Amino acid sequence: MTATAERPTTRPVRPAEPAPTRRRRHSGHRWRIWSGVIVCILFLLPLVWMVITSFKLQRDIFTVPPTIFFDPTLSQYVAAWVNQGLGPKMLNTVIVALGAGLVSLVAGAMAGYALARLRIRGAATIGVLILASRGVPPIALAVPMFLVARTLGITDTHATLILAYCSFVIPYVMWLMRGFFLSLPKELEESAMLDGCSRMGAFFRIIVPISAPGLISTFIFSIILAWEELLFALVLTNRRATTVPVAIAGMVGDTEHGANWGALAAAGTLTVIPVVVLALVVQKWLIRGLADGATKG
Amino acid sequence: MTVALSKQRRGRSSVPARLKDIAGRWSFMIPATVVLVAVLAYPLLYTLQISFSHFDLSTFSPGSWVGLENYTKALGNASFQNSLVVTGVYLVLALPLQIVLGFAIAFLLNAEWRGRGVFRALFLIPMVVAPVVSGGIWKMLLDPLWGVLGWLGSLVGLPPVNWFGSPATAMISVVMIDTWRSVPFVVLIASAALLALPKDVFEAAQVDGANWWQTLWRVSLPMLAPIIAATFIVRWLGAVKMFDIILTTTNGGPGKATEVVNLYIYQQAFQMLRFSESSAMAVIVLVLTTILTLVFLWGSKKLEDRV
Repeated sequence: MTATAERPTTRPVRPAEPAPTRRRRHSGHRWRIWSGVIVCILFLLPLVWMVITSFKLQRDIFTVPPTIFFDPTLSQYVAAWVNQGLGPKMLNTVIVALGAGLVSLVAGAMAGYALARLRIRGAATIGVLILASRGVPPIALAVPMFLVARTLGITDTHATLILAYCSFVIPYVMWLMRGFFLSLPKELEESAMLDGCSRMGAFFRIIVPISAPGLISTFIFSIILAWEELLFALVLTNRRATTVPVAIAGMVGDTEHGANWGALAAAGTLTVIPVVVLALVVQKWLIRGLADGATKG
Repeated sequence: MTVALSKQRRGRSSVPARLKDIAGRWSFMIPATVVLVAVLAYPLLYTLQISFSHFDLSTFSPGSWVGLENYTKALGNASFQNSLVVTGVYLVLALPLQIVLGFAIAFLLNAEWRGRGVFRALFLIPMVVAPVVSGGIWKMLLDPLWGVLGWLGSLVGLPPVNWFGSPATAMISVVMIDTWRSVPFVVLIASAALLALPKDVFEAAQVDGANWWQTLWRVSLPMLAPIIAATFIVRWLGAVKMFDIILTTTNGGPGKATEVVNLYIYQQAFQMLRFSESSAMAVIVLVLTTILTLVFLWGSKKLEDRV
């Protein structure tokens, strides 16, 4: 093990060859790896604990010291799903997240393309406005949205919540997709337009298909954003269109010294699993998207 | 007008063709513009209108114009002032901590070995946990009676701490929970940035006999400055919206110790039904946030130009 790691240092290095990466391993290297692993585990432990708690019976949850070995049970999931009515709320969350993601993707990708490629006058101003919109406190939107929705009688519907979510998802999509389209070679749509395609035609026939990976990861990113939103859902829904975060906020709210822990852990686990899976599936794109969103201002 | 148009690529073509071209470009902006006007611009203008008027609860619409009355009331409101201070304290504690911690962890995770990709992927997970869920998890972990952390503390002889019970520990808890959720984001950006650093500069520093500390301060940090600034701005834009975690854990308490401004405005609007005053407060927060964001953007631009 150590022998293979040290071998490259003794190997003669030809000048044209890039320096072998292993050569730079030194005493601090192993220390760095181990502390990195430990930090990572520490960050995951709270989640692991939630998942463990969700499989415990009430009597195994409230023990000191905490029970490590127990008979796993699904009763907390039943409690969350049936007693707390999580099922319909989960369905609402899925509908709203998908809806907001889809509307935002179409509108945001088109606008992002225009900003990246179409030499729109004032594109820089629009870019600043997008960034500025991320500084708008959601409460400044929640109050008027609630008042307008109430006046129009459209509170507690999926469509209202979807539109409300577009207020913060569209700017995100515009920004991410703008960065993505900037990275595409210009010749693509130019050749399409020489072949007689309109701008719109070139966009939908050439750009959209080759941008599928970027579009899908942005879509997933949008879903995650909408999935965890609380304030708008709290304000704009009350029964029929209530989402899971609202339900969980209620469950945490009346969790004085653990009344509801099991069901809360189960609901939390059910909420977290889909987005974690999505995030891991698109992790490479997610990391790139995040980094671009943060740095390419 | 004609001068500006003639500068464009198809400057020689006829006027209708040029107009058609401009219309073609702008048609891409239509869907986003329509939706954002409806759900962003209009609500903001409506907030502005309400903030300058007396809101009539019987008709549920803004009534008579009252000028700056709501603003003077809001600014003179001790609870609102308190919520601004609380938000400031939280930001001053959380943001530097998260940035430093994030870059430090990224440095650790970037050590080259086979498992690096796996651990970096695992780091994504806390980031996508909904804030309400993270609030719930940590409320369980920190519970003074049944919480695991209390038990772990007792193993090393620490007395049980009622984390959400005193103003100082409640603020620390909130910062800690938010840090747990937000640091992974900083880590991911930071590790991408660290990987992108040119290797030869470090080799040169090594050749020149720079030690680890000198390399960090003289080489790494100056090169990372623009990305640190950009990460700070993104985190700042997220952190000023702090609401979910506090609503689920402390609900602003004990007393008003963790009552951040978003929570206070929320309560004023939806529990006290003071829509005019809460709108004025929201506008004040919007103005403050925008000014600070512009200052930060300006600062990061300066940093970028300097490097």
